Amino acid sequence: MTDQSASTSKPYGYEDFTPGRVFCHHWGRTLTETDAILFSTQTHQAHPAQYNSDYARQIGFAARPVSELLTFSVVLGLSVADLSESGGPFLGADEIEFGEPVFASDTLYATSAVLERRPSSSRPGWGIVRWKTIGTNQHGRPVVNYERASLVRRASAAEHDAGGAP
Amino acid sequence: MTIAGLSRYYEDYRPGDRVVHRRGHTVSAADNQLLSLLTMNTAQTHYNEHSLLAYMDGMFSAPPLNACVALALATGLTSEDMTENMLADLGYTALRTHAALFVGDTIYAESEVLETDGPSGREDAGVLRYRITARRPDADVVLTVERRALVKRRCHWQTRDERFAKRAHADAVTLLTTHPKKPP
Repeated sequence: MTDQSASTSKPYGYEDFTPGRVFCHHWGRTLTETDAILFSTQTHQAHPAQYNSDYARQIGFAARPVSELLTFSVVLGLSVADLSESGGPFLGADEIEFGEPVFASDTLYATSAVLERRPSSSRPGWGIVRWKTIGTNQHGRPVVNYERASLVRRASAAEHDAGGAP
Repeated sequence: MTIAGLSRYYEDYRPGDRVVHRRGHTVSAADNQLLSLLTMNTAQTHYNEHSLLAYMDGMFSAPPLNACVALALATGLTSEDMTENMLADLGYTALRTHAALFVGDTIYAESEVLETDGPSGREDAGVLRYRITARRPDADVVLTVERRALVKRRCHWQTRDERFAKRAHADAVTLLTTHPKKPP
């Protein structure tokens, strides 16, 4: 079973994250040359193949590969509306593994499954949810996969907030 | 100079090596808002200050930096010293944010080589595994992560890399050495 949320509906919360539930995330994103250069230069990536085509060809690429961290960031970004927009801070990510190289004009899609959820021991009214996400390209081939966890509000706390939140 | 440093091939790293990277980065509003939106991140804590009133019982008075951006900045600050000769970024694990970062905060990064003998699947490159620690100038750790990258081996690449750089600069070198004061 798969689901999609929209900006007009209530974001998914802790109770929605049944282990095993799958989310096919919205939008997709075609990466551009601008995305690739802007991201690599703004985040100090000293990897010349990402902004020097001559050098990228010399080390065996047909074109400049985009930063793997851009691929990770976009796939995670596409998953936020379903998984963590209602939630609290990012708690961590593990086993981030990259597949095929990504190039400008490739399109990324994100799909996730709930791995586990448990109540937070230190923060009443909140839970910790862990998801597995796979990013694929326009050919359906994996370009990144990872696990991440966030603090997510439980329904009892959300109801408590509803009266006072602006 | 070659395109990437000749002292930064796979053979140059040993488990236990530690590097304190020279450059730091002060977080800007663009880092958070522009890079969050560029990467399709719809969490409005990164770009809507008013939304913070209702977020986490108002514990944030300013937008916290997107963790993906924090990871990219921390990794980027290590990249010239550690992975300038990389052929592919293989993966990251144990990514943890220990404190939120805000606009105006400065971070510096350190690296510690963990392993250099993992199987790489190719003769001309090896897997470098190292831990990145990002800190504020007051020494508070803000982010830790372990990274694996495929890095060129000197024995396969140095001659090719030197030839490539020589070709890239050859015409300019000739002009500068034969007519150093006359622009082309």
